[in-house]
Amino acid sequence: MATLFSGVSVSLGAVVRYLVPSVYYEPPQSFKIGNPADFAYGAPSFLAEEKIFVFRDREKGFAVASAVCTHLGCTVAHFQSDQKFHCPCHGSVFAADGSVQHGPAPKPLQWFEVTMARDGQLRVDKEKAVPSSYRLMV
Amino acid sequence: MKFFTDIWRSIFRGESLSTDKGKSELVFLNVWLHIHPAKVKKEHMRFKHTFYLGFITFFLFVILVTTGIALMCYYRPSTSQAYQDMKDLQFVVFLGPYLRAMHRWAAHGMVVCVFLHMCRVFYTGSYKRPRQFNWVVGVLLLLLTLGLSFTGYLLPWDQLAFWAITVGTNIGSYAPLVGGQLRELLLGGHSVGEGALLRFYVLHVAVLPSIVILLTIVHFWRVRKDGGLSRPIWKLKGRQPEQELVTIGAPAQPALRATAVSTSKTYGLMEVVTGKPIFETIAPDEEDDAVFAHPYAFFREAIALMATVTTIMATSLFFRAPLEELANPAKTPNPAKAPWYFLGLQELVSHSAFIGGVVAPALMVVALLAIPYFDRNPSRRPSDRKWAIGLFTVFVAANIALIIVGTFFRGPGWAFVPPWVHVVTGAE
Repeated sequence: MATLFSGVSVSLGAVVRYLVPSVYYEPPQSFKIGNPADFAYGAPSFLAEEKIFVFRDREKGFAVASAVCTHLGCTVAHFQSDQKFHCPCHGSVFAADGSVQHGPAPKPLQWFEVTMARDGQLRVDKEKAVPSSYRLMV
Repeated sequence: MKFFTDIWRSIFRGESLSTDKGKSELVFLNVWLHIHPAKVKKEHMRFKHTFYLGFITFFLFVILVTTGIALMCYYRPSTSQAYQDMKDLQFVVFLGPYLRAMHRWAAHGMVVCVFLHMCRVFYTGSYKRPRQFNWVVGVLLLLLTLGLSFTGYLLPWDQLAFWAITVGTNIGSYAPLVGGQLRELLLGGHSVGEGALLRFYVLHVAVLPSIVILLTIVHFWRVRKDGGLSRPIWKLKGRQPEQELVTIGAPAQPALRATAVSTSKTYGLMEVVTGKPIFETIAPDEEDDAVFAHPYAFFREAIALMATVTTIMATSLFFRAPLEELANPAKTPNPAKAPWYFLGLQELVSHSAFIGGVVAPALMVVALLAIPYFDRNPSRRPSDRKWAIGLFTVFVAANIALIIVGTFFRGPGWAFVPPWVHVVTGAE
């Protein structure tokens, strides 16, 4: 009986392992988004493919926020009128610093590290979360 | 001529259908028609008792398999080709839009019918001993039907598909401990993309239909072995206790009781089996209630089949399956709504993803599976089951109410908007 149980367990484990891809053919989590001059001051630039908002402030510098709602993964929109992020799926509202103001979202929006690459372009790393106060001065 | 007669007789071996023996042989020599015994009770065939919902659900599944195979001839599960193939099916392929509409409406119909079938089985008390396990199989078939629908939703690779699956799989990721890994396993990656489309296709056309077919076989087999089709409760009314159905082998009634048999028939001993049978029903006056399955039962089921196919074909003539714009991961539609039968779940999720998306559905499924084991009341009479019927009605009404709210009362940003209020969304 124990042998049978072991055999079944090993087989199931092998099936699950087989289903976990060994290689992910997905876009890299660290990528360049362009030169600083490409981004205007004021309203954030939305990069659709990367699902990020790039903020540029004269005094504070660059910051990058995730556009993915922490509730169920919908893409939030930034409303210039109230300076907040709104999720179209279930009505979550995030303040300018990404904190949850309303709705079912359980966590604030993520902010990602932005650095200057050697070629002068801005580089964003979505695997490195930073506080909402983080800024890159250029 | 004898050559062709021999071939015919090698396939159809029974006697002429004008004799009772021929009618019996038609059933028990045929693998498909053996779904019924040679003779069935008249009340088994009463439309008002079962509404033929089990058969209709099965017929809808047959339509889905047939049209699904046809659609597979033109569909490629790749993010760069799927939407193009859907457009081809919609505008280029001969009968393409019609077959796709049939597939879509049959899928909706199957969800409705399997749910109504479950309600019918509950309200008639047909899940009680010895049919408890068959109820469990039925609940699993309901979940598989929803799974088939969910996996099929991604295949068109339009906006509805992409966002319904994005939201749906994110709900799954709230499951404790393994939620994130489960989502990754299902998607074959970290987001809805190429891997997810291929895996959902495999689940939709191979894995889930295979399991549905296997469980349907078990479901039908158990109906036959657990006493045949469900019988109306009125049949039991007015009977003296000693004349009621006798359950042999059940714990409460362990003994076989001698019963009178018809003197106008010839009986033969077919087989001797030792030990107690699991279940059998005997009623002295039932011999006269039985009729041959052919043609009485098969004729009615053929009408149900034709009505089902005709309804789906007619609906598909007038209402085409929708196809939204190409999936755009950057732009979430506002409001982003799941298919109507998941809108109750989405309504719950809009309040709390964990409670609404994981805890509540899990409790509902466990409660449904456990019904026949917790409900120890042996009576099928509604007057004896007021609490059970009341609780189940609350469950059904709550589900329907949530779906109605999600469908008609939710607008942009999931705000509460009555359907009679016209909403103009801003362009911001």
